[in-house]
Amino acid sequence: MTETPVPSTATVASPAAMPAAGSLVRRLGLPAALVVMVAAFTVAEPRMLAGDNLLNVVVQASYLTLFALAQVVVLLTRGFDLSLGTAVSTVSVFAALLLTGSFGGAAGTLAGIVGGLALAAAIGAVNGAVVAWLRVSPFVATLGMLNVCLGLASLLSDGRPVAGLPDTFTTLFYAAAPLGIPAPVLVALGVAGLLYALLHHTVFGRSLYLVGGNPRAAEVAGVPVRAVLVGAYALCSLLAGIGALLLTARTGTGEPNLGGTLTLESIAAAVVGGASLRGGAGGVGAAVLGALFVTVLANGMNLTRVDGNVQAIVLGCVIVAAVVADRLRTGGGR
Amino acid sequence: MAVAPLPTAPAPVAPGTASAAPVLSLRGIVKCFPGVRALDGVSLDVRPGEVHVLLGENGAGKSTLINVIAGTFAADAGDYLIDGMPAGALTPQRARALGICPVFQEFSLAPNLTVEDNLFLGREPRRLGFLDRRAMRAEARRIIADLGFDLDPARTVATLSRAHQQMAEIAKALLAEPRVLILDEPTASLTESETEKLFGLIERLRAEGVAIIYVSHRMPEIRRLGDRITVLRDGRHVRTLPMAGVTEEALVELMTGRKVEVLFPHIQHRPGEAALELRGLTTADRSVQGADFVARRGEITGIAGLVGCGKSELVRAAYGLCPLEGGEVRLFGETFRHPSPARALRQGLCYFPSDRVAEGLALERPIRENASMAALDEAAIARGGVLRRAGERGLIQRTVERLALRPAHIERPVGALSGGNRQKVVLARGLVRDTQVFLFDEPTVGIDVGAKADLYAVLKELAEGGAAIVLVSSELPEVLHLSNRVYVMHRSRMIAELSGADLTEQAILSCFFAETGDGRTGREGVAS
Amino acid sequence: MSVRPLDHPPVPLRPDERALRLMAAIGLLPLLLVAAVVVVGILEPRFFGLMNLLNILRAASFLAIIAAGQMIVLISGGFDLSVGAVVALTSTVSASVMAALGAALPEAPATVIAVGLVAGLAVGAVVGLVNGACVVLLRVSPFMVTLGTMSIVGGLALLLTNGIPVYGLPEALVRDFGRALWFGVPASVFVAAAVVALVWLAQTRTVAGRHLHAIGGNPQAALVSGIATRRHLVGAYVASGLLAAVTGLVLTARVGSGQANLGGLDLTLQSIAAAVIAGTSLRGGVGRVERVAVAAVFLAIVTNAMNLLRVDSKLQLIVLGVVLVAAVAIDELAKRRQIRD
Repeated sequence: MTETPVPSTATVASPAAMPAAGSLVRRLGLPAALVVMVAAFTVAEPRMLAGDNLLNVVVQASYLTLFALAQVVVLLTRGFDLSLGTAVSTVSVFAALLLTGSFGGAAGTLAGIVGGLALAAAIGAVNGAVVAWLRVSPFVATLGMLNVCLGLASLLSDGRPVAGLPDTFTTLFYAAAPLGIPAPVLVALGVAGLLYALLHHTVFGRSLYLVGGNPRAAEVAGVPVRAVLVGAYALCSLLAGIGALLLTARTGTGEPNLGGTLTLESIAAAVVGGASLRGGAGGVGAAVLGALFVTVLANGMNLTRVDGNVQAIVLGCVIVAAVVADRLRTGGGR
Repeated sequence: MAVAPLPTAPAPVAPGTASAAPVLSLRGIVKCFPGVRALDGVSLDVRPGEVHVLLGENGAGKSTLINVIAGTFAADAGDYLIDGMPAGALTPQRARALGICPVFQEFSLAPNLTVEDNLFLGREPRRLGFLDRRAMRAEARRIIADLGFDLDPARTVATLSRAHQQMAEIAKALLAEPRVLILDEPTASLTESETEKLFGLIERLRAEGVAIIYVSHRMPEIRRLGDRITVLRDGRHVRTLPMAGVTEEALVELMTGRKVEVLFPHIQHRPGEAALELRGLTTADRSVQGADFVARRGEITGIAGLVGCGKSELVRAAYGLCPLEGGEVRLFGETFRHPSPARALRQGLCYFPSDRVAEGLALERPIRENASMAALDEAAIARGGVLRRAGERGLIQRTVERLALRPAHIERPVGALSGGNRQKVVLARGLVRDTQVFLFDEPTVGIDVGAKADLYAVLKELAEGGAAIVLVSSELPEVLHLSNRVYVMHRSRMIAELSGADLTEQAILSCFFAETGDGRTGREGVAS
Repeated sequence: MSVRPLDHPPVPLRPDERALRLMAAIGLLPLLLVAAVVVVGILEPRFFGLMNLLNILRAASFLAIIAAGQMIVLISGGFDLSVGAVVALTSTVSASVMAALGAALPEAPATVIAVGLVAGLAVGAVVGLVNGACVVLLRVSPFMVTLGTMSIVGGLALLLTNGIPVYGLPEALVRDFGRALWFGVPASVFVAAAVVALVWLAQTRTVAGRHLHAIGGNPQAALVSGIATRRHLVGAYVASGLLAAVTGLVLTARVGSGQANLGGLDLTLQSIAAAVIAGTSLRGGVGRVERVAVAAVFLAIVTNAMNLLRVDSKLQLIVLGVVLVAAVAIDELAKRRQIRD
């Protein structure tokens, strides 16, 4: 910094000081922790590495991966989406209503999928518009949407699960396993691959990083910041909507309470994976690794019969530890 | 280099004796920031009852030095003595307790509080454990009246003009009854009569034995106030010398390390067609009112004015960063009612912001992404929304090499670069797409002399190549030596256009000090 | 500094600017409050029934206490997502303590209650201390820290009770305080009034309050002015934890048992909503407790009115969400239109 370092600019943490060793720790730290954790759980409970359990973990992780990917998209722009969980519930109920509605057959299935995803994108677009045009902070904007979706979900369903989904839907999104790979895993992998391409090979993806890196600079450089924000929130909700369809297929009903703790888990997974709340950092890898970590942790604690309440406590500690570690790596003594 | 022998004990001194023992001595101070050595072995003595001028270009280390003195930054090496005793681990709190009071350019005011709350921040009078608000109000009124400032203590700071915030900042420092008062370009936003009041005050404090460290570029005020002068360059101590008998040319040479005519290249201006025309421009926040302006191809057009006069907002509005209330922006004859950065860029107009950390760069992203940021709609970089990464890399690599950015490693994060190199990354944006009009907003803030010379060379190349260059700068020598024509702004209005023989430092300064509304028109010395 | 100072002569205001300024000065909230009361009163006369008014006051008093704490943290430039969980843990801890002690000392209910209160307040103070320490010493974002402690504290509350309500509170606590009317008004209203008065006093009349506002407004300026920013920040989180604990105690006395499902994320979000609707800035430095109290009453009235008018409870959620976003958007709009002079 040769910028005349007056007090106000002195707080700008410069990543310049980050040594190569730090970036190595960042790259290898989480996978190493994952391996250590798996080893520890295996010692305590050998079933950890059993084939069916591993498959179970991978399927579980693929749901969380989708939600963490969704969260990463908005985290990149210095935002977050608190409405993700209740949006999932709303999409689940809405899609289930269409699926069980008067269309019937393949048309009904198509209507459910398309309608659900369209609603998801619309919810996100509203979030984005409120953030970008009304300049409401992402916290308040998505908090408001959390309430709205909570109301919508129970209003649409009258508080009861919507049962009787067509088999084509549940097979397509849950039971199918082409090449022996379960459908949720395939979907998650496909979405992760597409998102990777989007983030690194398109102007929109680049714009997400630039807007998160420095929104004012992006605006000065002619990046359409508001449109990018709307797109980011819409994409976030769309990905969450895909996850909602998968979860709906798994439970076999449209659930008004499906979203539950998903918001917090998705933020936790993304942050544990290395996405920063300060924007501009993280990507597909962060979401996948973070989701895997959180899922393995939960699975291992289930296997070793750790009380569910203790699990909540452990998750809380892991979140704080992950953020502290991120701070120590990048922020240094500032 | 004027290293005085260390005093054995703090001795009481008669006010005004410039030869008294220093109240504050720095020896070999070193301060590093990531990627740069901001201070490299700087020594400084300040005696009671003297005005000690710190002189240096932007980026010479003046701000870092006063931050070390004020305890905001801890020095990495070197000794810091107060009254001959080591200062130890200095915090802003301790420095203030020792009577060292800084008045920064970036104000230390809480915008959400009132003036009087801010004056007493950190040392509020109490009664029975509660704030003594009556005493605060009375004391604030007293000190403001004493200073002769026109300032309402009950106003919230965020609603004040920059000049009034500056007054509040000065009042805040004086309330602490300082032994060492640090003034960092205090007149940058004051009018002549306010400046006069400040000078009277400084002279009074000097007579009372207060040591004053005074940072400024302006020769007339340095000459009027200064007792001794210390010149810094690129973080190093160049020389400390008494004010008497120093010529301006000598000081500029000490500051820049080279002759004036070498630093500023000779530019062949060949004014051509009008590129950017502003007619009756008024911004929605009224920071610019009814301004007319023309920039032509093949010349550099300067805009000068006090800090906060609206000169920066003028070019920002033309680029679409400030909403317009009235007037029009014409670019090569085409009229824009609602300019926007994206449209401006497409039409060949590019703005280079003054605060490159806040508005120019995403520090954690690589040079490549920062340089191509304004050209993501260009076919060479992306087609149909899909990036052509190889094409982007090649283009940016070539541009960066053309600008002599070293090392030209385009995947480094911009945060790791020095101020000069950061400026080159921003500048690269104008070169990766077809840009005809360049709006530079304080382009040399925070960069060293070498990078400055590089930048001037680029300006010369661009102007002589037929581009229209607009140079907004608070550094008068820069505007004077580089521009063919200079506009002067004062209090949101365009008050003069100077060129040819009328383009002198004196003419510009007299426009700065024009008091609009009291007889003087501010039009004196206006050409054409 | 975030202020972009301008230097230009004053210009006559347009009428809409004047209206916006006026609105910014007195706030939209009192107007909304009056409008809500009038509309509801016309639509549903039962609104003015004594029992109904008491219900509104009681609901508003719980919210006002916890929102006052949230406001303190927001002023410092932070967030506290853990307040709802603190309510739950306070409730279970204090109830467990009082139940156990009450069995041992049946004839000294005053002692039992006092120990229970202290235990509950200690819970709030400790959680606040941990939050503050993480934010200040580790410089972690308040959002993530309090998200983590929310999970931890909520888990502890459930772990302590296995989700089963803790009975056996001293009779006096429930009868003479929790469900009592003092001078015809629910006792919790007096607690809320005292809390609001104390916070108001601290905000406007004490050095610590002034310093907290300065820290939220411009942390660097506060530091340079010699303010011990770290201590104040920790203090803000402790205050928030303590007020959440007070809410937990009042709620416990009202319900008559210690419950791990008191509070929760809902109450946290409501506390933020009340603070934000009252004009407290999420960027720090700005907030007034008397407005927060009005906002709490406003939210209580809206909820109550929708119940009376038999608005679907799900629709109520939607209305609350929209009100929240609208309040902030209007605030933001008014700020953007302001002209300095």
